[in-house]
Amino acid sequence: MRKRPAHASGRTGPAPRAAPDEAALSGSEIEALCAKAARGAGMAWGLAEEAGFAAAWLAARGVDGPRALADHLAWAEGRRWQEICPTVSPGAWKAPGGGVLCPVALGATLCDFCTLPDAALDEDDGLGVGPVSRPVMLLPFLAAMAERLGHAITLSWPGGRLVVATSGGMAGALPALAGLARAPLTLSRSADPAGAEPVATRQDVSRDTIDRLDALALKTTVPSSASSRADAGAGGSDND
Amino acid sequence: MHMTSPTDHPARATARRPADVVMRLARMGAAHPTRLSFLRVLMRRVQSEGWRFDRPLWEIDAQGVGRAVYRARGPSRTYSLVAFAHDLPDDMRSDRVIATAWDATFTLFDGTPTSADLARLSANVPLQEAGRVSGSELSLSRANRSVRLWQHVVGRLASGRQPDRAEIDAVGYLMRTTAVYGSGKFGAADRVDIAERPELAAPFQVEMLTVWLIRQFTVDMVEHMAAMRGGPGAARLSSENRRRLGVGNSTGLGMAPFIVRHPVLLNNWMMAREEALARVRSLRDASPDAVAALLDAWRAARDNAANWRSEHPLQVEKLRDLRGDLGRIGDRLEEFPGASAAPWDDLWRWGETALTLEGQEQLFALMLEPHGALVDGLSHCMDADETAAFRLDGAMTCGDLRAILETTYDWALAIDFSRPETMARFWYVSEEKLEPRLGDRQSDDGAEREQPLCIARLAHDLHDALSGSAATATVAEFLLRAPEHRFMVRRAQAAARHPYAEVRDNLIDEKMLPIDLMRCKLALFGASHFDPRSDKWVRISLFRGAPYPLDPLDPAP
Repeated sequence: MRKRPAHASGRTGPAPRAAPDEAALSGSEIEALCAKAARGAGMAWGLAEEAGFAAAWLAARGVDGPRALADHLAWAEGRRWQEICPTVSPGAWKAPGGGVLCPVALGATLCDFCTLPDAALDEDDGLGVGPVSRPVMLLPFLAAMAERLGHAITLSWPGGRLVVATSGGMAGALPALAGLARAPLTLSRSADPAGAEPVATRQDVSRDTIDRLDALALKTTVPSSASSRADAGAGGSDND
Repeated sequence: MHMTSPTDHPARATARRPADVVMRLARMGAAHPTRLSFLRVLMRRVQSEGWRFDRPLWEIDAQGVGRAVYRARGPSRTYSLVAFAHDLPDDMRSDRVIATAWDATFTLFDGTPTSADLARLSANVPLQEAGRVSGSELSLSRANRSVRLWQHVVGRLASGRQPDRAEIDAVGYLMRTTAVYGSGKFGAADRVDIAERPELAAPFQVEMLTVWLIRQFTVDMVEHMAAMRGGPGAARLSSENRRRLGVGNSTGLGMAPFIVRHPVLLNNWMMAREEALARVRSLRDASPDAVAALLDAWRAARDNAANWRSEHPLQVEKLRDLRGDLGRIGDRLEEFPGASAAPWDDLWRWGETALTLEGQEQLFALMLEPHGALVDGLSHCMDADETAAFRLDGAMTCGDLRAILETTYDWALAIDFSRPETMARFWYVSEEKLEPRLGDRQSDDGAEREQPLCIARLAHDLHDALSGSAATATVAEFLLRAPEHRFMVRRAQAAARHPYAEVRDNLIDEKMLPIDLMRCKLALFGASHFDPRSDKWVRISLFRGAPYPLDPLDPAP
């Protein structure tokens, strides 16, 4: 995808086409590209894997996870981990200094803590988190928690709510959530909603999103040199 | 995975070999294909289910340019290899991933392609990485000719004669693939979308089917070119010459990281193999049929070793070991099974003391060969649900995590990383077509962009970091403070449940040989004639000696 090389074609190959406005990436391509982009933006490898997982999970359900991640990374790149990771305490998880939380750091940490008292989700008060950058990115983590805990989780924000079922299905104001740049959130335990079935309609990824993710992913690679190129190959000619 | 536990298999008395023995680079670098190799799994299914094959399209001109379709019809689905043949100038022929043109390009289509599909594929497949395929395609591949053998075979057949047996055996294939991409690469169908099909559930069945159909294409192409040149007097390949031709594969470092990046999958592959060996060693008798099959396998291995060529000093030495060991195994088999109450276990124990690693791993493959009924079902255990291992156990205590490191990663903690030779190299991805490469930490740029394949060092660093946490603290709390260890915590928690998940050697050591990782993986595929061209580059052969898709069915191998 990245840096399509100028096509030095054989005599019979077709000419490459201009890049279209969007591309039907496979799930594994989305996951790999997003993980690399997150790493390129400074996330630790293990969290970058979480970012790839989350973006691909959303994309497989018709939500533009790659774009949400690209938007988030554009904001988060260069910020220190301590600024955007949660401070964990029962009832309320905030960023130190009241700043905005990274949804990948928050989601991964919620999953890590989900069977521990600090992440207890009451039906009434719930757990207050945030504000959170690109809160739609939190959904894949809530689905993993719901499956693990054996109950649905309701995500509320000023003006809307959405329930994530133990099956990974969702019911609620998904388009509104997907449009939020940042919001304070409340998580609470709830009953499985009726009619929340997983949808499997993968969405194409726009050229703009791919380019932005590619630019970050490029930061995980090393510019080529004559010696690195030579060292990676076989000793002799391939015309034998 | 569902693996029989040590007590519930009736024949079971011998334990699997421990990971400290199995998962060492030197031994993995001596691996041989077995009847659990993915190529053999495919061949057994195709033959037992009576798959039918045909070639509905052949539009190749006198210059060898055009397209062809080969169709494989199983009990419930059809798959088609779409092949594009090109006229490649010699100066563009490169096996590297940085190449931009090839002698032939391929995709495996899910079903029978329409003319619209073929038009779409002809605009993309020849471009390989620079093109796009779709969820209707399962693989993307390309191949280059062996220039010398191709010219020899076309020339001989065109003049009505058979090629030289020695020339055929010296190379062993007409074309070698230089990449076989599957699993969602470049827009192809994701693994998860096809993994529930019984015929594709075992690992790499798409890739193996692709390559087997490519083998048919290579002999069809060479006969076509000979007929174009020689006219009615041109000969076709004799069945014996055809049989001796496999498909080559040429691969570099790109293959090595895979088994490091997929620890649960690697575990399941290796555990199935080790379980198979343990079952055979546990047998209390050796029937005349089993003894005969063992001797047949030994003779085939001896012939295989005799026509296995390499000029690389490391492989020359290994071949000397192997040939010597096969002689010793032959002598030992003259008194097999003897009066032993545990003949297979005795044979194995003899091999552990009498043979080099090459010979031991060859003996492994030989001992499985007579026992299909006992071991073939283990191929159902070689897939992996990797998502199950993705979520961390945050409630685990730091004390328990430390204990995992001190038992499962004791080999890593024993490495003194203050010695420069223990971290002499680093794995990275080149900006140039994303080719994986291995750098020298002292002299090469880019170590700050190192890939996390240095597992021993990551385990070491995690162990150090945990010393600052109370044993009763949770992993969740630890990772909140130290997110840089999340990657290794995930691996360690998986490795605690999957004993063969880790290669138990330092992958950034000065003396580490990437070809050892590649040989292990290629042997799991079913590759033979491992022929290193450097310590990071290798050629192999697939399907040599096997039947062809368009041949009448033979008995299962």
